[in-house]
Amino acid sequence: MKLLAKTNRYYLLLTTVLFIVASAVLYYGLFGALQHEVEEQLVNRRVYLERRVQDGGNLPTSPFEYQMAVSPRPQRIGYGDTLLLDPHEQELVPHRQLTFPLRVDNKLVWVTLRKSLVETEDVLGVVLGVMVSVLGLLLLGVILINRWLGQWLWAPFRNTLRVLRGYGVQQDQVLRFPLTTTDEFAELNQALTLMSQRLVADYEAVREFTANAAHETQTPLAIMQAQLEQLLQRPELENPELATLVSELYGATLRLSRLHQALTLLSSIENQQFKQASHVRLDRLVEEKVAHFESLADVRQLALRTHLSGVPSLQMHPGLADSLVHNLLQNAIKHNHRGGTIDVKLTPTHLEVRNTGPTVTGDPARFFERFRKHQAASDSPGLGLSIVQQICQYYGFAVRYDFEPTGCLHTLRVDFAPPALFPAPTGEGVSQLGQPQF
Amino acid sequence: MKLLLIEDEASLRNTLVEYLRQAGYVCEVAGGYHQALEKIKLYQYDCVVLDLTLPDGTGLDILRALKVDGSRAGVLIISARAALDDRLTGLDLGADDYLTKPFHLAELNARLRAIIRRRQFQGSHHIAFRDLLVWPEQAEVFVREQPLVLTRKEYDLLLFLLANPNRVLTKEAIAEHLCGDAVDSADSFDFIYTHLKNLRKKLQEKGADNYIRTMYGVGYKLSTE
Repeated sequence: MKLLAKTNRYYLLLTTVLFIVASAVLYYGLFGALQHEVEEQLVNRRVYLERRVQDGGNLPTSPFEYQMAVSPRPQRIGYGDTLLLDPHEQELVPHRQLTFPLRVDNKLVWVTLRKSLVETEDVLGVVLGVMVSVLGLLLLGVILINRWLGQWLWAPFRNTLRVLRGYGVQQDQVLRFPLTTTDEFAELNQALTLMSQRLVADYEAVREFTANAAHETQTPLAIMQAQLEQLLQRPELENPELATLVSELYGATLRLSRLHQALTLLSSIENQQFKQASHVRLDRLVEEKVAHFESLADVRQLALRTHLSGVPSLQMHPGLADSLVHNLLQNAIKHNHRGGTIDVKLTPTHLEVRNTGPTVTGDPARFFERFRKHQAASDSPGLGLSIVQQICQYYGFAVRYDFEPTGCLHTLRVDFAPPALFPAPTGEGVSQLGQPQF
Repeated sequence: MKLLLIEDEASLRNTLVEYLRQAGYVCEVAGGYHQALEKIKLYQYDCVVLDLTLPDGTGLDILRALKVDGSRAGVLIISARAALDDRLTGLDLGADDYLTKPFHLAELNARLRAIIRRRQFQGSHHIAFRDLLVWPEQAEVFVREQPLVLTRKEYDLLLFLLANPNRVLTKEAIAEHLCGDAVDSADSFDFIYTHLKNLRKKLQEKGADNYIRTMYGVGYKLSTE
């Protein structure tokens, strides 16, 4: 709920309660005052009648007989309310009446004086009407003013939000906001600008560090690998014990360099260093990759089948497209068992790799985590699916993992979500890369 | 065959030179951009092995200079920069191939041989090894004058071995050469084992000597003796 709607709700609640209480107090106050006024008039008339009778006069006859009644029988003394029929309008009209005993010519009679309350009610109606409409207008005014204030006063805040939503560190820009005269918003904007400055500086430092670290690590690794290879050529290495030692060292160096390459790729994607994009023919890429993995699948007696039913039109960095398909297929081969199957399905909207494999436990979402391995002792660093996820995230694709216990089928599905689809010119092929990057 | 190796890291340069000389190349070196530029202006090379990141310039400029001069030398880029963009830029500028550091020495040699073969001998080149004769352009193999039919992978494997005779080729290097660099070791070792077994069997059927030796725990070697 909006902050403004929330405050409005409380305003409204308070105003309504005040409104009801004020109306009640006003009504009963006014009613009491008017009734008191009528009673005073009745008393005045009684005093007048008593004086007149004392001075030896008769009871006057009123032209409106319902205003005064004289009865020889005892009546209840004091004020009372009654309804009398108005002969003209043929309706019952409320009256206030005062009954008192009076001695006329030594005979005791009971006189009842009446006064209509119609005028009183009219006055009450008018006053209440005016008050209620004033209060109503006030209420409406409060709501309208708040709404207007909400639009006008909070405009800088909404603007700030809009800028923040569109902000990404990768843009390498400090946040800029238009000037605002509201202190709170100006302070907020200033704090955000400062924060973005720090972010940009930190991001730049991290990016530089990653690039430098990548370069500086790769060179010693290359030296180690080359030297070890030379060492393996020595005649002394005919000794199997020595050979095993050096060979394991060599294998470890390779693993380290592979891990390093994967991490460098991941951080490069995170740093959005693959801005360049071209039209990618995913069907050709899939066929190429399937051919590439075919012999490896043969060795493990896997049936590798492709089902191409349409080609998505994608703008991607050719290297990332290569890496995506490569990792999906490699994953399907790695986590499979002898004699299993792999089905690669490509449609205009999604790419799906379904393979048989051992039952897995645990949260599927965690399979995409870095260094997540099916077997802890495995040689692979467990970065394949992280790379897949990172690439998908980069292009706004949705990637999903499903496991069907019947038949132990693992499915990885990449949906090319609409925002990432661009109509692209055809005829341009996948760029040929010497080697896949990972 | 004359090579120019442009690499700024001294210890890597020395190892590479030692290896390339062992492999039968005449190898000259340059440790920096200006030295390299001087050498390519003065001498003719069959192939230039080029590191992209140099202390006093970028290897891409050397590549441009080579192309401007209309040099006939093949260019193999070796770079620590794993960036895919560099690879594409390098190939666009006319480099023949690209290797990302770290790489296998045997792979470097195999790629160099392929480049030189493509550039110098238009189809007239053959590789002879003991009783084996290979015509790379036609992808034909003969054992004692009899044709030998190999699968694609077996042929690649044989060519890789032939490019590095009398050297121990690690199983990792063979696997990467055949399947690309991202194949996991455990899988790919089965894979090369199977292919080697088949290759040996086919060679033996044609009466070839058994010159592919297994180096226990390390890899394989094409033996000249």
